Amino acid sequence: MNQGVWLLPVGVVAVTSVSSSHALAEDYFTVEQAQRALFAEATSFEPMPVALTDSDRSAISKVAKTRTPLPEKTWWRAKKGAEVIGSFVVDEVYGKHEYITYAVAIKPDGTVRGLEVMVYRETYGGQIRDAKWRNQFVGKAHGAALALDQDITNISGATMSCVHVAEGVKRVLALHAIALKVKA
Amino acid sequence: MTQLRVRSGSVNFVNRVVRLSGWVAVAAAVATSLAAPAHADENLFGYVYGAETLPKGAGEIYTWITRRHDKGVGAYRALDTQIELEYGFTDRLQGSLYLTGNKHTIRNVSQPDENGDVDIPDLKRNMSLNGIKASAKYMFKSPYKDGYGLSMYVEPTFTRYQKVRGTEANQYTVEVRGIFQKNFLDDQLVFAANLWLEPEWRKYKASGEKESEVELELDLGLSYRFAPKWYAGLEYRYHSEYPNAGTYKLQLNKREHVANFLGPTLHYGDKKWWFTATWLPQISGRPLDRSISGSLHLGEHERSEYRLKIGYNF
Repeated sequence: MNQGVWLLPVGVVAVTSVSSSHALAEDYFTVEQAQRALFAEATSFEPMPVALTDSDRSAISKVAKTRTPLPEKTWWRAKKGAEVIGSFVVDEVYGKHEYITYAVAIKPDGTVRGLEVMVYRETYGGQIRDAKWRNQFVGKAHGAALALDQDITNISGATMSCVHVAEGVKRVLALHAIALKVKA
Repeated sequence: MTQLRVRSGSVNFVNRVVRLSGWVAVAAAVATSLAAPAHADENLFGYVYGAETLPKGAGEIYTWITRRHDKGVGAYRALDTQIELEYGFTDRLQGSLYLTGNKHTIRNVSQPDENGDVDIPDLKRNMSLNGIKASAKYMFKSPYKDGYGLSMYVEPTFTRYQKVRGTEANQYTVEVRGIFQKNFLDDQLVFAANLWLEPEWRKYKASGEKESEVELELDLGLSYRFAPKWYAGLEYRYHSEYPNAGTYKLQLNKREHVANFLGPTLHYGDKKWWFTATWLPQISGRPLDRSISGSLHLGEHERSEYRLKIGYNF
């Protein structure tokens, strides 16, 4: 038997990793593009780094299992003229292979205004960017379950990504409620 | 037991079909890669199975290459290969088809006894089609959604060559495997445990001798994502064999041999492909031939195994 037949997948990998490398989009939004997508009426975005105390960190860690660094320096205050219309935060969670970067818009009352997936490098589960899936987060506030098969639906083949983004949003809402709500 | 006879003409035909189907698979995979989103069900471990299944409609093709070598005396090298095509029928049920092959190089592994018999005769055979396998895996619990993963795996097999000696023997096996998986540290640390049982029925072509055995194995794996796309960890195998005697009843008090393996594993996963490399040296075994080794069972196993899996998702 031709011994090379057992190495066919190796050849497939070599050929397709080159030929398809440009067909797979990864970076969907820059920070500025995500800000405009989530706060179309905003006239300015002011950086608003967060200063957390140890007790803040402890309280937040009890809300979500997410272990990526807290997004303390990637917060902005969205303003329309002099009026504060919400907070904009960029966060990262673990994907199966790489990080998933996403942005959350939060209204002054602490509820989610919108969510955009900015960078998604995973093999599967691109449907996580679909408006239908992202819109499940709109209106959620700190304390919401944000759990698969409860208030968030799963995406076939991307369960880990769904769980991690939901947990990430849960952590962002906790961070907003605990450390930023008064300042927003 | 029904005996399947494979004539040389049939083998040549099968080999041609295998080569043709391989190229068809290449063409299909290349075409698919350019048009469709990717799916993945990569194996973090070389020997231990994870609980996840492919999503509905997703497919995967991958190669297994396992090198076994060193029986403590003479020269022993065996290479086991297989190509697997995997498909997700539902989000919880996947099926696979495999073509397996192997080659052996055996020289002076055993010295002739006073009757001139040798345990493992010399043999040199190039890579040959060994047999076919099919499998089904059903996931009861998802490791990400349910807090732990739990799956059941069944794999019937037909092969033409005895694994250790490489001699021609029609062999039928049915592997039944329970799979447990638990993730920690935000899913960056993965633990998996498999317990499997495999009855075997074998008839040697030259002698007509029949034998049957039952394999019982426990596999454990722990792997940590130390960098994006990369996992590293350890795998452990406890392998044991018992007489079957056609009773389907495991006779635990009549164990024929046991071997323990422990070694490192490395995994890399990209968007559409992945590889896993595992080195599993034997760390202990029984019974012993103390003239060859004081701690390893080298009759039915080897001193060391290496396995490389390369997968492509479509």
